[in-house]
Amino acid sequence: MNRRTWLILALGCLGLLFSGAWMAPEHLSAMDLRLSLAGPDLVWPFGADVKGRPLREYALQGAEVVALPAITAGLVVALAGVFGGLLRCVGTESVDATIQGLGEVMGALPRMVVVLVVALVIPRDSRSLMPMALAWAVLAAPGAMDEAASVAERLGGSRFVEALRAHGYSATRIYLVHVVGFNLRPVVVRQGAETLMQVVFLEIALSYLALMEGRPSFTHPDSSRSWADLLQLGYKSLFPSLRYDSEHALWLGLSLLGLVGLMTVSIGRMARAR
Amino acid sequence: MLPLMVPAIITGLIWALPGDPASLICPPSRCSGTQALAERWNLDAGPFQFFVGWLRDALALNFGRSWSAFQGMDVGNLLAEAIPVSLMLVGLASLWIFTGVFGAATGWIHRRLDPLLQTSGMIPVLVLALVGAAIVDLTYGFGSSGQEGQMARIIIGSAVLGLADGAFAGAVAGTRGLFSSESRQRYVGVAILRGERELANTLPNVTPALVGQLRARLLHLLSGAVVVEVMLKINGIGDLLWAGTLEQDFGLVLGTATLFAVGSALLLVLQAMCEVAVALHVRRSPGVQAA
Repeated sequence: MNRRTWLILALGCLGLLFSGAWMAPEHLSAMDLRLSLAGPDLVWPFGADVKGRPLREYALQGAEVVALPAITAGLVVALAGVFGGLLRCVGTESVDATIQGLGEVMGALPRMVVVLVVALVIPRDSRSLMPMALAWAVLAAPGAMDEAASVAERLGGSRFVEALRAHGYSATRIYLVHVVGFNLRPVVVRQGAETLMQVVFLEIALSYLALMEGRPSFTHPDSSRSWADLLQLGYKSLFPSLRYDSEHALWLGLSLLGLVGLMTVSIGRMARAR
Repeated sequence: MLPLMVPAIITGLIWALPGDPASLICPPSRCSGTQALAERWNLDAGPFQFFVGWLRDALALNFGRSWSAFQGMDVGNLLAEAIPVSLMLVGLASLWIFTGVFGAATGWIHRRLDPLLQTSGMIPVLVLALVGAAIVDLTYGFGSSGQEGQMARIIIGSAVLGLADGAFAGAVAGTRGLFSSESRQRYVGVAILRGERELANTLPNVTPALVGQLRARLLHLLSGAVVVEVMLKINGIGDLLWAGTLEQDFGLVLGTATLFAVGSALLLVLQAMCEVAVALHVRRSPGVQAA
């Protein structure tokens, strides 16, 4: 597939995520026990939960929980990558070495441990995914900076900039167009997209683990539902003895994860080098 | 530095929270004796005093007691029970990584499989852990908490950890990338013309980068172990960390997070030792046997 097709796919997935977040209801609909675990044929388009509430609302609220923090984390990592690449091109060795040293220390911390420490200190009445997403982004940033710096290094680093200067190009054109636009773009966009996906998966994992313990999630208020609720509801359908007909929730949850995966791949492919 | 940094950050965060730390464990609205508790846990003399006291005890392998998740229980004992379980889980999971590295380096894992591996590597750890938990529960039913069930959980958990989030796929792709770029070097072409083996020539030069990649992947396994242990009900360090976080049990989180940091620091030391060994080996300039 060419880059334009990937761009359309990426925009489509991002559009779905953001329109879902924008349309998310503040609270779930009223219960209707007659529609308990109703399939998509009765409650269009995704079916209903055990209390007869449409799963569409779960999907929308889940999108609202993850959309902004995941995009923010992705942007932070992409910008850090740009910074790392530019730093290598500028050729400031002492700053470069300091940042590399800091990156080594940050990269040596197990991310989940740091995220849980951040979760530990979030006041319970102001739960949000954003602090954890930012912590994740800060931990992912050194890797992105390192990769972008290697790309800049392969390009020639400061010698590449000198060569373009000799051609009479302005600094803005050299750094923004040639270094970032033409050379760093594939790496930083892919890194940003991967972080976006990781933050979504992180939210689902944290919410699912909290659900398993019957505890409120760290990532969203009790009035909201995460995509993890769909997986938890659907998981019970894997046990035939339980006779819990919630396969539609499982499929919806997995499809949403697949959509995020597709979005990540398409963003990465649309930005790949020619 | 890492094992010191992690408890220092957590201590800083405890004091950064609104309200005094003792009230966090024992809110005066719900329980009496907050002041006595503060004195008992060394929380009444400020963060530095607390940190130095905790560190002094930790160096004597005394990690204090759990504040709320396992109230009153010795954190050291909890960790001692959990460490072998987590080591077994991460150790078995790392076999996948080593297999991926070995398979890619020797060419046993064919390049044609790469797209398939990369696609399967995108499956998040949570989804594979869900499948794993379902397999264990369906296979062992009520007996899944017994000895046999626990072993099955560890084996399935290690497979989940080794395959999910691109752990295995990343090991294959990373190793292949390193070797293929090194193989393009001029000296490798010359060596092949001299009848020497490609791997014997490239291996010493890629080993430092390979060890660096391995460290990052093992760290990734340590991180993922938290999700796998909680999902599959494996009583490891990750499970303790999760329980401590849920209960805002700073005593337990301090111990477990420090242990993770120690693990990470050990990996860094191992990496440095490997790099030194490779440098010494390269310096000896050993002869390469002709094929």
